[in-house]
Amino acid sequence: MISVKNLQFSYTRQPFIENMSFEVKDGEIFGFLGPSGAGKSTLQKILTGLLRNYAGSVIVSDAEVKRHDNSFYENIGVDFEFPSLYEKLTARENLKFFSSLYKKQTDIDFLLERVGLLHEANKKVAEYSKGMKSRVNFIKALLHDPILLFLDEPTSGLDPSNAGRIKEMILQEKAKGKTIILTTHNMYDATELCDRVAFIVDGKLRALDTPRNLIMSRGASKVRYTYSQNGREEGREIPLNQTGEDSLLQSLLRENRLLSIHSSEPTLNDIFVEITGRRLL
Amino acid sequence: MKVRPLLLQDIKFQYKYGFYFLYLVFSVFYITLLYALPVAWREKAAILMIFSDPAAMGLFFMGAIVLFEKGERVLDSIAVSPAKPYEYMLSKLVSIGVISTVVALVIGFSGGVIANHFYFIAGVFLCSCLFSSVGIILAAKITTLNQFILATIPAQLLINIPAIAYLFGWKPFPLLLHPGVCMIELCENGSNALFAIIILILWVVLVAILAEKAVAKMLRSVGGFKL
Repeated sequence: MISVKNLQFSYTRQPFIENMSFEVKDGEIFGFLGPSGAGKSTLQKILTGLLRNYAGSVIVSDAEVKRHDNSFYENIGVDFEFPSLYEKLTARENLKFFSSLYKKQTDIDFLLERVGLLHEANKKVAEYSKGMKSRVNFIKALLHDPILLFLDEPTSGLDPSNAGRIKEMILQEKAKGKTIILTTHNMYDATELCDRVAFIVDGKLRALDTPRNLIMSRGASKVRYTYSQNGREEGREIPLNQTGEDSLLQSLLRENRLLSIHSSEPTLNDIFVEITGRRLL
Repeated sequence: MKVRPLLLQDIKFQYKYGFYFLYLVFSVFYITLLYALPVAWREKAAILMIFSDPAAMGLFFMGAIVLFEKGERVLDSIAVSPAKPYEYMLSKLVSIGVISTVVALVIGFSGGVIANHFYFIAGVFLCSCLFSSVGIILAAKITTLNQFILATIPAQLLINIPAIAYLFGWKPFPLLLHPGVCMIELCENGSNALFAIIILILWVVLVAILAEKAVAKMLRSVGGFKL
């Protein structure tokens, strides 16, 4: 679906994106993770054909993206981080208008129902909460049933229930064979949704793999346990693969003296910090 | 062609955001003022009002419309839609042009200045398209209403002063190369109206091409993703 080779781009004389290469397969959810200013937004602008003065090759849907005409947008949907809606128009009026710009159209009421807004559809967007606007914005990207979706922080500002609903819809789109590019600061979303993630810092690709491989490649999971010793609570942390060799743990188990025991894996955020030396937030 | 949905949206936008109400208020105000003036002044006053308001309204309204769209980030979504920059621009020129012409006709009939309907309508509509195109070019580059108002001052001076001078009797022939003068000539059904309409069309085409380039650049720069 997407093939990027030796991509270089700069806003000034200083190089910004340098020698970036990666591929996104059909039907994949591919995540871009990086702090603000890392270059992921610029990269998305290039992938969506808005920035065309790049060097290298960027193939999207079998053609160089800088040579696409506007019909290219019939097949891509973009959910922006911030709502892009006419505030004085209702959600339905907004969706009808944006839908009218595309050849292929889907059932607006069906989409509104899926995000729980069917009964609020005739309200002006200005009267919506931040979360409601985010949900309308999300389904706006699905109006023309695009084969390639760019989602920029799709769960930002949503309560856990609605965030779950949106994530479920993202996975349903993937199940239909859609390719999805997800930009996020949310490591939990990235771990839960993405088949592969790319860490971007200072315009460079610092790592690219499945969330699982990235997590496992940087140290094993750990086990932490606490126990009572001379009336005081003591704690100890050991690698998960060494529990069989930990004689203290063995004896505590035999003597039922454990106060607590739990395993912990590094998060994608931990891995990001370790690889890039930067924080996502 | 996405002009039809864009045009319908622009009409809906202008209605919902109160632009038509403003046109109505201005029209009533101008007509009342027109009838308050001595009859001898009425013809020139009506043409001046038509030139300086309904036709020029595009300049201000276009700025407001584009700034609203920028503020509500809808341009981000339009930038990644199949709509082309010229379609976006054309729908705005036509929607503003039609309402400007309707209001100008009302003022024109009230002032009794319409001698040739075709020239009058063409003059107002084309001049509205010209002002709207200038409005788009300016609004594409700025972000606040204050910046926009400041930016319109030189454009207004350039368009208005020769036209007003022509209306009040200073009529050297080369002045007919000026677009504002062309509109006055058309509204007055002057002897050079045919020449004026050709010149005005050329101006509109030239400025609309520049406006289309400004829209294309603006849409590429918004695009939704911020650095």
